[in-house]
Amino acid sequence: MTRLPSSFRIGWLQVSHSKTKLLIASSGVVVAVMLMLVQLGIRRGAIDSSIAIAKRLTADVVIVSPRTKSVFKPSSIPRSVLQRAAAHPDVVRIQPLYFGTAVFRNPWSLQEFPISVYGLDADQPMMDLPGYEQQRSRLELADHLAFDLQSRPTFGPVAKELLAGNEVVTEVNRRQVHVVGSVSVGVSINTEGTLYVSPANFNRLFPSRDLGAVDIGLVRAKRDSDPDRLARELSEFLGSEVRVISQQGLVKAEENYLRETAPLDFIFGMGAVVGFFIGFVVVYQILYTEVANHLPHYATLKAMGFKQSYLVRVVLSQAFIFSVIGFIPGFVLALGIYNLATTAIQMPVLMTLGRATAVFVTTLLMCGLSAMMAIRRLSSAQPADVF
Amino acid sequence: MQPEAPIVARDLCFAFGEGELRKQILFNVCLVVEPGEIVLLTGPSGSGKTTLLTLIGGLRRVQDGELRVLGQQLNGASEPILVKSRRRIGFIFQQHNLLPFLTARQNVELMLDMERRLTRIDLASRTVSALESVGLGDRFDFEPAQLSGGQRQRVAIARALVGDPELILADEPTAALDSKSGRSVVDLLKNLARERGVPILMVTHDARVLDVADRVVSMEDGAIIESAGDVESAS
Repeated sequence: MTRLPSSFRIGWLQVSHSKTKLLIASSGVVVAVMLMLVQLGIRRGAIDSSIAIAKRLTADVVIVSPRTKSVFKPSSIPRSVLQRAAAHPDVVRIQPLYFGTAVFRNPWSLQEFPISVYGLDADQPMMDLPGYEQQRSRLELADHLAFDLQSRPTFGPVAKELLAGNEVVTEVNRRQVHVVGSVSVGVSINTEGTLYVSPANFNRLFPSRDLGAVDIGLVRAKRDSDPDRLARELSEFLGSEVRVISQQGLVKAEENYLRETAPLDFIFGMGAVVGFFIGFVVVYQILYTEVANHLPHYATLKAMGFKQSYLVRVVLSQAFIFSVIGFIPGFVLALGIYNLATTAIQMPVLMTLGRATAVFVTTLLMCGLSAMMAIRRLSSAQPADVF
Repeated sequence: MQPEAPIVARDLCFAFGEGELRKQILFNVCLVVEPGEIVLLTGPSGSGKTTLLTLIGGLRRVQDGELRVLGQQLNGASEPILVKSRRRIGFIFQQHNLLPFLTARQNVELMLDMERRLTRIDLASRTVSALESVGLGDRFDFEPAQLSGGQRQRVAIARALVGDPELILADEPTAALDSKSGRSVVDLLKNLARERGVPILMVTHDARVLDVADRVVSMEDGAIIESAGDVESAS
């Protein structure tokens, strides 16, 4: 039968002897863990939802304007350039993608709200839109369009009606439309909701827009060709008028753009750091008073032949116990808040093993650091002073 | 062959502070405690008794002079050697200094944790017999706060003895006790030491317990002034 190390048992008996202190120290850790997990989770959620569109593109290579900074703020490229790309032997198909922001009238409240509109042919769309292609025949009718079921509720219970098999008649950009189709994709911090329409209907919604000006050119490459190499070759071939990157390159560029323009790292990083310090200070306070109160006892142990390292392990064990006892409820609370965020703002916030592990290790470090600070007091426990 | 005396001190000097603030506490102290001997160290406060005890216990470094405890030379000894030496000694303090968050049993058991070789069963049985030998067989799971002063000091004695020390050092073990429990604590200590043949060096002010000693050593102003031998127990 193996026994826990003596120093760990003493540490446990010491912290469990005073339930109040155990509770205070652990709740400090709970708050720290929860804050760190929530801040980092929402940061990741915001990034993920913003690059979701770029991730959903199934094209191998995309052609954008060199002025385009984000798929949500595209500058257009001439369609003729896209058609020239089709001449490359490795290019199988090309497809234009149009993007615009319209106003959608909530047919119940009759109020208008901005909504993103993607114009994309439903014939083999180079975008992962579940069910979009199957609704092609209806979506090709004039002023018929598809609605993202995960749009925020500001647009009214459109999703409910669509799922019940009814069509919704309303106005988009002051034009009467029939919402007949649905896709389930999800919104981001940039948009409240999304419509997916055919290029012809896109033109009807935005009469001032010229279909010759494409926002994003989608390119399907031959199966065995390397997208990065194709992007380089097309880039040379098409000249400086456009920027050609692989789909993965676009995802990366989107994430970089977001992190440069939106201060996500700073805001959420700051929140996580605050959490860390709350936990650090609370645990330090508790451990410090514990060490100070028990200094004569620790000195006694030293006098009886225990080494300083034994006492250090006793205090570190206490820090470890606080970490573990605080982490579990903090983790559960964070999961609850993730859920809340996912349902309340339609932004999926998911727990990842990597983040949970990172925060657990950080928690151990946080408590360990508090312990090391508190332990400095220990060296003043002179065994000779107990006489 | 005569076994070596457990404590041999020759010309021990000790001072606190440096330079002008230097205050010498011990002056050329010579003391020998023979195997199995019970020696009481008395004298007014400030006479250096406790300092001498802490030197012998390996709690302070020897500055000047020669000191051998249990055959180990302590003058010039490194910290690990001092720690090792402390483990062979049973300490009893003026305050019981029991860990308040441990029960009597756990406080005693803690001493045995230093000896890694012990099995769990050995550990438990040695703890039980140590507590029974001080008459606390029915107080195993009491915390110090639930025990009387005399009982706490008995737990401290059990803790000092459970590791089978080769020498017992006690610093005014009766100071915090009333005369009756003080008496019984000293008697207990004496009987247990006699059974095991362990020598005791005890610092005390308490004139009521002088009779337990084989020898009383008096100190004044950092020097031994008198060594009265053969003060046999009157009881």
